[in-house]
Amino acid sequence: MASLQERLDEFKKSFESGAPPYNAPHEAIETMHRATAELKSTGIERRALKAGDRAPSFNLFNQDHVQVDSGDLLRQGPLVVSFFRGHW
Amino acid sequence: MELEALQQIDSEVRALGAQIVVITPELERYTRALHKKLNLTFDILTDLHLKIAEQFRLVFTLPDYLRDLYKSFGSTLDRFNDEPEYRLPIPARYVIDTGGVIRAADLNADYTIRSEPSETLRQLRTLSAAAAD
Repeated sequence: MASLQERLDEFKKSFESGAPPYNAPHEAIETMHRATAELKSTGIERRALKAGDRAPSFNLFNQDHVQVDSGDLLRQGPLVVSFFRGHW
Repeated sequence: MELEALQQIDSEVRALGAQIVVITPELERYTRALHKKLNLTFDILTDLHLKIAEQFRLVFTLPDYLRDLYKSFGSTLDRFNDEPEYRLPIPARYVIDTGGVIRAADLNADYTIRSEPSETLRQLRTLSAAAAD
């Protein structure tokens, strides 16, 4: 099974080729690269919380509208928290 | 792809006594469908208006020109996330210990780059080895 990064690279290659199924125009790809470079230059990666920082607590609804509290989860064990921008 | 990759390590994560949660600005009606479609065994939590992502300092605003581009692709963030300002979190994966302290942070402003789930497992193993000492 290909690694996650290999699969992401494969997708990127296919998307940036401009070929079907995505048919991404060259200018669109340029625009996306520009946006990523600009975002990196804002220093957001350095400002984000990192190892050694205290994690903010949270209390959010899950996909079944059940409330989930980070304190309850941490009483059961360590947590892997992944921030996902969405599937749009 | 991140969600599928996390699903692949979920049983190992549980065997280490840990849990995965995904935090997204996406509204519940969409996370519910996605959760079902991918047969996930961990929760997707809706972080409405990025309140929690802001506290982790992961939030940025899509520039106008990119917003217009996504709109031309038919991607409407305002609908999926109720986010008229077009803000998003950068992708990030954290390992948090039972004391609430972040022990590992993998993040990248380039959304096409992610750390491997195997690396996350390694971080969790280091944590449980330290706890056993």
